[in-house]
Amino acid sequence: MELTIALALNGIVWGLIIALIALGLSIIFGLLDIINIAHGDFFMVGTVLAWFVAETTGNYWLAFLIVPIIGFALGALIEYTVIQPIKNAAALSIVATFGLAIILQESVRATFGATPERMLPPIHDTIPMFGIEYEVYRLFAAAASIAAIGLFFLFLHRSKLGTWMRAVRFDPETATAMGIPARRIYLMTFAIGFAMASLGGVVAAPITTVYFEAGVDILPFCFMAVIIGGLGNLGGTVAAAVLLAFFEGVITSFTDPTFARIGSLCLMSLVLMIRPHGIFAGATR
Amino acid sequence: MTVQTINRAGTLLLVVFTLTAPWVLPLFVDSFWVDIYSEILIWSLLAASVNLLFGYVGLLSFGQALYFGMGMYGVAIGIAKLGFGFWGGFGFGVVLATAMAAVAGVLAVRLTWHYFAIITVVFSLIFYFLALSWKPLTGGDDGLPFGMPPLISIGDFELTLTDPDVQYFFIVLMVGACYALMGRIISSPLGRAFVTVRENDLRASLIGLNVYMIRLSAFIVSGFIAGVAGALFALFGRYASANFMFYHVSGEAVVWAIIGGVGTLFGPIVGTSLLIVLREELSHVWAHYPILVGIVVILTVIFAPKGIGGIWTSLVHRFAGANAGKGGDQ
Repeated sequence: MELTIALALNGIVWGLIIALIALGLSIIFGLLDIINIAHGDFFMVGTVLAWFVAETTGNYWLAFLIVPIIGFALGALIEYTVIQPIKNAAALSIVATFGLAIILQESVRATFGATPERMLPPIHDTIPMFGIEYEVYRLFAAAASIAAIGLFFLFLHRSKLGTWMRAVRFDPETATAMGIPARRIYLMTFAIGFAMASLGGVVAAPITTVYFEAGVDILPFCFMAVIIGGLGNLGGTVAAAVLLAFFEGVITSFTDPTFARIGSLCLMSLVLMIRPHGIFAGATR
Repeated sequence: MTVQTINRAGTLLLVVFTLTAPWVLPLFVDSFWVDIYSEILIWSLLAASVNLLFGYVGLLSFGQALYFGMGMYGVAIGIAKLGFGFWGGFGFGVVLATAMAAVAGVLAVRLTWHYFAIITVVFSLIFYFLALSWKPLTGGDDGLPFGMPPLISIGDFELTLTDPDVQYFFIVLMVGACYALMGRIISSPLGRAFVTVRENDLRASLIGLNVYMIRLSAFIVSGFIAGVAGALFALFGRYASANFMFYHVSGEAVVWAIIGGVGTLFGPIVGTSLLIVLREELSHVWAHYPILVGIVVILTVIFAPKGIGGIWTSLVHRFAGANAGKGGDQ
């Protein structure tokens, strides 16, 4: 029972981190109509940058400030050099982002090395929760993800830029006619997507292994959250990420974790076949 | 010199090179290149299966590794666990892959565009995880090795793939048969229907074509091709492993097909050769050469979305136009 509780809690924490990353994937898909195979690697770059910041400055908390800014800049650069030129070849965007994934992974392998590193959590304490001793850092990770997700929704619904993003997604031509700089909104959306994934990487760095293939493992999970929650349904994405990770955690405590993964993938195929707008579609439209 | 003759000459050159490679290649380079060329031929089939779907029907599959893996496991399980002979194992692998493609295709081709790409990846991931965890049958991470049964055995006379020449020509024969089959399909009415669906599926359905069945048949044929590739690769490496079912293998096949040029029969061979030769040559010099591969992929998508095949076609057309009636040694 204790194991189940611990794994369920871990699941919720991971679900919130995944939700943060998957939101980035979802806005990039919704606005730019691009399946971003490199999104897991944006997360991986975030963990590696967090590791570098902690190693060089000795202060892990600085990474929360620095890494999203680097992520935003990298995202803007990639949008400008890679995504913008392939706008006309939408079918091949998957191939281009696959190339991008290769470049990011190899660059990290070349600079950071191929050996996985572990980072010590900056908070070592544990507190009693539901009858078990639970790591405080994981609670912090959950709170940080919730705060970031909340800020993002606030930005999307309460700021001018956020409103522009929604307008361009709704109807790019009318939005452009109304004087919204759609071109710059695309750039910003991609950059925000990268920044969110890299922030997810910072949050997750102390509770996962830092290595160049970390993105490959996390990408399918992000896609599951986006598809099951409904493409473009951002609230659904968050809910799906947390629920999936929670159930995978619970199932993992009884049996082989791969079976939990297979179960989620089967659920995802079902959703794609039967309700391609996600299981929460009825609730929001 | 017409476009057709130039292309015929190119094809002839490729065939002659392939048939004489075991003797010609060692004259110029190390003889292990013959092995690499067999590997290229096998992998080019996987790229060709991507090309058949994307280049001719317009469906981008990111899950061809599933059928490749099924072909591999069919051979390995058939020979190591079920006690099949050479042809039994080979047939089992191909049948398994084709059956898998038929089942997955019934569901997958209901979707198009991005959704199709996603569902094909998801299917391949499901079976990748199954293969990883079902250790007694598949060997999981370690893979499933098997001993090579003889190809033909009449009395004392025995042909096995342990003889490098037999192995090479067996692979050439099978790969050649697959390309012949694809060439035949592409120039048949079914092939025309493929292209019609790619260009405009609404119009195709309005002139009475059954778009669903056309996409499904393309999906099954491409699963069959990928299955043959997997079965051949299992025989070539004498083992099967779940690693070949991961989506990175599918992604690589897509890259080979795109760089070689989709929508051309031999584009996949060109793309696969280029990238595998690049890998063999560069990986000693620069361990991080995949960065270069990634850059080439992105540049191809931006500047030459039709790949090398597309560049070749436009060059040939220009050459044939400029030299109408004249001879040339293209």
